[in-house]
Formats: sequence, C-alpha cells, structure tokens
Amino acid sequence: MVKLKPDTAKTLLALHGRFAVSLGLALYVLVVTGTSSVFAKEIADWSSPLATLEHPRLPVGLDQGLRAAAATVDPRYLADVSAYSGAGGRIVAFFHTHELRPESGKFEEIGVELDLDPRSFTVLERREGWSEDIARLNAAPGLASFITQLHVRLHIPAPYGLLVTGVLGLALMVAVISGFCMHRHLLRDLFKRRGGGVSLLAARDRHAGAASWILPFALVLAFTGSYFSFTDSVGLPALARVAFAGDEVRLVEAIVGVPPAEDARAAALADIDAMVVDAGRRGRTVPNFVLVERWGRRDARVSVFLEPAEGDLTSPTYVYGGTDGRLVVAKPDFGLVPSAGGKLIELIFALHYGNFAGVSSKIVWVGLGYGVSFTALTGLLLWCRRRAETPAWRRLNRAVHWVGFGLPLALAGTPYGFFPARAAGIADTQSWMTAAFIIAAVFAGALAATARDMTRVKYLLLGLTGVALAGLPLLRRATGGTDWPDALAGGLAAVVALDIAFAIAGIACFAAVWWQSRLATSRPA
Amino acid sequence: MSPTATKRHFWWRTLLAGPAVCLTSLAALCGGALWVPQGAAAINHLALPLVLFPAILAALFFHACLDRSLIRVAAVQGSLLLFNALLILRASWSS
Repeated sequence: MVKLKPDTAKTLLALHGRFAVSLGLALYVLVVTGTSSVFAKEIADWSSPLATLEHPRLPVGLDQGLRAAAATVDPRYLADVSAYSGAGGRIVAFFHTHELRPESGKFEEIGVELDLDPRSFTVLERREGWSEDIARLNAAPGLASFITQLHVRLHIPAPYGLLVTGVLGLALMVAVISGFCMHRHLLRDLFKRRGGGVSLLAARDRHAGAASWILPFALVLAFTGSYFSFTDSVGLPALARVAFAGDEVRLVEAIVGVPPAEDARAAALADIDAMVVDAGRRGRTVPNFVLVERWGRRDARVSVFLEPAEGDLTSPTYVYGGTDGRLVVAKPDFGLVPSAGGKLIELIFALHYGNFAGVSSKIVWVGLGYGVSFTALTGLLLWCRRRAETPAWRRLNRAVHWVGFGLPLALAGTPYGFFPARAAGIADTQSWMTAAFIIAAVFAGALAATARDMTRVKYLLLGLTGVALAGLPLLRRATGGTDWPDALAGGLAAVVALDIAFAIAGIACFAAVWWQSRLATSRPA
Repeated sequence: MSPTATKRHFWWRTLLAGPAVCLTSLAALCGGALWVPQGAAAINHLALPLVLFPAILAALFFHACLDRSLIRVAAVQGSLLLFNALLILRASWSS
C-alpha cells in the first residue's frame, strides 16, 4: 500500500487522467504497434519468403558473394560494407559511404544495396541512392517496416517523429508511476474483482487488475522507449555539439570504438567466411551482421556481430584485421572494454526488443505488450464512461472506440495492400499499405462518428479485425505465397507459424466479441 | 489564495513542469558529458547521461508537479541548470 498525502494523491490522479486523456490514444497506437513489431523479423520472413531458409543465415560463400558484388559498384561505396540476413533469408549487402545530403544538410549513407540469394549469391534486387530512399524501395521487408516505422516515429518525418514518440514514452512513464502510487492496495488489486458483467466497478477492477500485473513491464518499456527516441533526436546531436564540436560521426566512433589509424594503401581483403565462422565458434552462437570498413585498403577492419548466446543478454563483437583476418579484439557493443555505460545500453536494447531468449522471450514480450495496450484502452474507456453525461466526453468516447478498435483493424488491413502490390511487382509497397491502412482507419472513424451505440461499433470492428486476420493466410496464398508442404520442406517455419498465429488471433477476436456480449447480458453480482 | 494568485501559481507550475524541465534536463545531459567520469572504456561520460536523460526528465517533472513550494522547485532546477550551463560555457571557451 502506498500512503500519500491527500494533496499529492489528488495531483497524481489529475496527472494520471490528464496524460491518459490527452496522449492516451497516441500512446495506445505506440504500444500496439510496438508489440506487433516484436515479431518484425518473423513477419518479414512470413511475408517475403524465398524457397528455402538457409541455416546459418550468414552462410559460407558470403565472401565470394560480396567480392563479386563489390566488383559491380562504384569504388567510393567500398568505404563501408554491411551484410546481414534480411527478409526470407536474403543477404542484404549495403556498399556505402557517408556524404552530406543537400536536401537535409545532414550526413547520410549513400550507396548501392543488393539483395543476394543466400544459396547462389546471385543478385535478386539492386537499389541505389540515399539510405532513406533505398529503405522505401526495399519491398521484401516492407510489411514489417511499415509497422515498425509506425511504432518508431508514427510515420512523422525525422526528427519530429522521434521527439513525439519520446514524449509519449515519458507520458507512459508518468501514467505508470502515478498509477502505481495511486494503487491503495497493490497486491489485492492483482486479484480483486467486484461487481459483474459490464458494471462500472467491474470495469474499474479489470483496468486496475491488468495495470497491477503489467506495471513493471510498462515502466521498462516506457523508459527504454524514451531512451531510444530521445537519443537519436536530442541526445546524440546535443552531446556531439558539446563534446565533439558538432561531429556526430566522431561521437559514434567514441561510443562504438575508435577506428585504427588511416592507411589508404591498397591491400587484398582476408577471407570473410573464415572470420564469420571463427566469430561464431568463439561466441558459441550465430553471427547475424558483418561490417567491413575500408574494403581493399591496408587499414581495413571486419566486425562480426552475434546473436546473444544461450543464457546471455548480449554477445561480444569480434573485430578482425581486414588484411590478415586475425582477431584484433573481442569487444562489447559499446566501447573497447566492458563499462557500466556500455552494459546499461546493452541492457536497454535487450529489454526493449525482448529478443534476449529468442522466440520464447518475444512471446512473453508480446503478451505483456498487449497487456499494456489493454490497460491503456480500458483506462480511457473507464475515464469516458465516468463522465458520459457530458457531450465533450461522449465525443472522446467515440474517438476512443475509433482508435481502440479501429487500429487493430487498420493494422490487420495493411497486408491487404502489401500482398497484391508485391504480386503485381510494384516496388513502392509503402504507398499501397498506407492506402489500405487509411481506408480501414477512415471506415472505422466514420462508423464511430455516426453510430448511436458504441458497443455495436466495438463488436463490428472487432469482428472485422477477426475476419481480416483469419483471412491473411488465404490472402498470402492467393497472391502467390508458398503452400505449407513446400514451406515445411524449405524450413520456412515462420510461414506456417504465423499463418496459424493469425488464424488463432482472428478466432480470438470473435471470442472477444462473444465474451463481451456475454458480459453485457450477465447480471451484476 | 485569490483566483488571480491561483491562476498565476498554475502558470508558474506549468512553466516549471514543462519548458523548464526540458531545458534543465538537456543541460544535465550535455553537462554530464563534461563531469561524469569516463571510465575504463572512455564512454561512461557519454553513455550514462544518455541513459539517464528520460529518468532525469521524469524525476524533475514529478518534482515540479508535486512539490508544494514553487520556490524550491525553481531552486532545484535553477541550480542544476546553472551548474551544467557553467560547465558547458567553460568547455566551449576553452576549446
């Protein structure tokens, strides 16, 4: 039990309510899309699979593949070469350098990005230009990127989107801390259920109960999310200005590890495959990212990043000499030796993404994430319901129903823009997904604005979301997607698993409608 | 308290809990890079202020909302702002 002075309790209640009401809907969007983004990699594999999924995802042959690709690009783009396993196991190789972009006046990566087949290392797709433009044209992970970008910056241009999401993260922190302090009986609230059916008391207990369960997780999400948003939009530029005379590249070098002294004389690059295999053996886990700096020069350096080993939150990065292939250092992600600051940043990454124990931790993170969404939505509905006599609050109630139940429909509708565009060979799938999202959102908005009975709006939107989710496996197949026997033969576990997950989620929506209608007809205890 | 005084009190608190908190936190972030020890990896002075920035924002915000004395709120924020601003000014002059 948290004992507070009456004045303090009153202020906290006002803060909790005002933040929830003014920013709650945007916060709800942030949490729902963030929760959906936990499985972004699997969604990318599901939506754009190749015939087979290679294991390991950076297979032997990468060396020859990258060398062949390097011969086809402008030599200035050999300054930095990154390679990782992208959607469906495609090897995404980005040959690039950093240049000042005239439109933005900021340094940005420019170069050639290639999708390579992980078995034959033939070029599947080639994109050239500034990194932001390339990302838009990268259709394979398009569906996952759309959801992730909605979460990261609500599709608002940089840096304003990050600022907005940072403020929303803080709002979540304020709501969680004030909510925690307001709980008179935290442990009892975990299990307390009074009233019945859809009574106000029962609704209050459902909100307080859910909030009690997810409080620590919501605080972790809010804090780590704010860190990510503010670091990119405010923190790094401000620190660079104070400590590095505005040079952000030098700041990042200081945090990640200073590169060796320059030696621009030409030299052959050592075998990348050998370095990747060596890093995997040393780290007892799977390499997932390779960075070659200063390709073809005597001062070349190759860094191999790894998935966390079993039981660990992070793995070291192995840095090799580019010309002799010898291990130079096994370093943490941040700094050259372990440090409190570096450990904290690594911890923030692991806790926000929830990927420290593979799929199992991701499933827990999704469950808790939807718990936070449920709490945000029930809190908003409760706040409106208590003030239902006032016209302004009734209008807000419509908005809460629109966003609360329209957002899942719009998200479930997004693939209905992606798959047909992909099947038609359209590179800019983002526009099609945006159109599908907006159509669903406008439909939900029109319904919420005009309907008399909000309960029916809720049932209808939930039901339509169920139909859209359950129809996703069929849509995928109808637009040329792999069937299950071929997917299983090719090791495409994500295809089968997500087909089943979407079907179950669709059924869960119908079950939620049934449960809600049953609650509405049951008598209060 | 008269209605005018209450209104004035509200606007002062809003100013302290909003723009002043942002400014003070930003100064603490930048100033931290100059006074936090670098550590063995020479990154603590950069990483710790970045990591703690949301916590500083939240702590100052709650203090500005909950402390009954606006003078105390202003004193805490003012001293933090002054300390870090002086450090930043000294660093920019010496460079």
